[in-house]
Amino acid sequence: MTLTQKQRILDVVAGKMVDKLPFGARIDVWYNYHVAHDSLPAKYKGWSQTDIMADQGAAAQKRFFSVCKETYHDMEVVKRDEPPYEVTEFITPLGTCSIKLIWSVNEGPWLAYEHEKLFKSQKDYPIVKYILEHTVPIFHEGYAKERKEMGDRGIVMTGTGLWGPSQRVMREIMGYELFYNEYMDRPEKVDELMTAMINLERKKLDICIKADIEIINLCANWSDDIHTPVFKEYFTPWFREASEKIHAAGKFSMAHADGEMRRLIPLYADTLLDIAEAITPVPQTKCTMTEFRAMGNHVTLWGGIPSIMFEPSFSNQEFDDYVKALFKIMKPGSRFIVGMADNLPVAADINRVGRVVELIEKYGKLPIT
Amino acid sequence: MSKVSDLVQKVIVGDWKDIGRLTQEAIDSGLKAEDIVHQLQGGMEVVGQKYSSGEYFLPDMMKSARCMNLAFEVLKSAMKGIQMESLGKVLIGTVKSDMHDIGKNIVVSFLKGVGFDVIDLGTDVSDTKFCEAVVREKPNIVGLSALLTTTMHEIGIVVKKLEEAGLRSSVKVVAGGAPVTEDFARRMGADAYAADGGQAVVICKRLVQS
Repeated sequence: MTLTQKQRILDVVAGKMVDKLPFGARIDVWYNYHVAHDSLPAKYKGWSQTDIMADQGAAAQKRFFSVCKETYHDMEVVKRDEPPYEVTEFITPLGTCSIKLIWSVNEGPWLAYEHEKLFKSQKDYPIVKYILEHTVPIFHEGYAKERKEMGDRGIVMTGTGLWGPSQRVMREIMGYELFYNEYMDRPEKVDELMTAMINLERKKLDICIKADIEIINLCANWSDDIHTPVFKEYFTPWFREASEKIHAAGKFSMAHADGEMRRLIPLYADTLLDIAEAITPVPQTKCTMTEFRAMGNHVTLWGGIPSIMFEPSFSNQEFDDYVKALFKIMKPGSRFIVGMADNLPVAADINRVGRVVELIEKYGKLPIT
Repeated sequence: MSKVSDLVQKVIVGDWKDIGRLTQEAIDSGLKAEDIVHQLQGGMEVVGQKYSSGEYFLPDMMKSARCMNLAFEVLKSAMKGIQMESLGKVLIGTVKSDMHDIGKNIVVSFLKGVGFDVIDLGTDVSDTKFCEAVVREKPNIVGLSALLTTTMHEIGIVVKKLEEAGLRSSVKVVAGGAPVTEDFARRMGADAYAADGGQAVVICKRLVQS
């Protein structure tokens, strides 16, 4: 019986040798940009991402950042527009903190950047901690629709949120530079904040585990020069705790592990994470796929084709040569899901997604010899 | 170990606790303030090399940058009336529609640390803003940073705008950022590519010397 796109991916993560390499393609940046600019190829105007990927023959890998929505209790949350920014004030009994977002229309009107972070100085510790302690996550109803639309055509990539608890504090709440300054000056306060964030994350994880999700994303977007110094202290314990719960529920854990990773590779094996997704090798980073394998034989590598390979600056021949070489490097092909790392670029030809499918049919039958 | 070499060593290892005292002792020992600065900048170059080689991480660089700031606080009064010679002026920014700044900020810290005069235009900087700033600031080097595949082509757009404005020959252009490779930077018309902050120092020094 022919495997569905989704089942082929899940079987590979479970360690089974399937018929051919799965290809979980991610095109949301390309798709959102061209929808926002009315520049989708004529054939695909009005199509959904998943329909386009199905037409290309690939499994869809569609982002739905979190199955949890945050609700706030015992505080007043006031949102206001200050174009081009959106300001949210959290008015608590301990004081007020605010966050200023700017929405990037470059990738479609869906991605917000923190122009001003929630945490700005040490006076904000008790307020941010209060906010976290009085945040209650609830199930995001929108997920059911995504899941239904996807069906067996791929995976809705979702989980507790885009960031794990440590990454959220480092990147979203404080920003890396302020985080490391605080980590130098007030490590005990940073630790308190991390604990409050992990407690909130535990509630989100419970929601994820109860939901209809096979693969739960726990974190995203690393770089070894930024994260390695705190990885063992803050990231690994959470990944282990979460992965154990996820495994006990018969599900898989995943992290979106793009960026420079060399110094994080030896630490990955200890995390108990099942999947390292968006694996980005040379020429976009300094690491080869062979080096990534050292994350552990139990880890499924998902990715391998750097985004820039889809750019028109790489010829069709160069693209084919790269993909064919990739398959050879990954032989026999177990615990490997072909993917772009991490997204189809705006300038890319969508038909290269279909080209990967053709190359899999020719050179990606398993086991690769 | 001399007062100043002890001070430089503290900068390299990022131990900021005694920096103020050691800087004052170096001044009191009769060393010229500008000589102390030059040696501290040499220490930051070592930090840059360690960062590029993978020995150091972002927080290591930040500790060293903090040491430099503390030393300069003490040196401020001794530097009154002294015009330190800059290695050159670098105008830097993240290209249009790109809000990411951590990589750029690392580059800024290193360049400032070794003695470049740095004008940081921030994030989401349009080609027009880059050109206006080049006219205003007259830099030796323009640094262009992009993190996203959606924005990295802006590097070429800025270079083209500089050409159209007749400014291209007055500056060297250095590009960097996660998806940017040396080959891509060259194809976009940049003079050089810097993979990280440490490498940016080496490249900018080479470019201003040439």
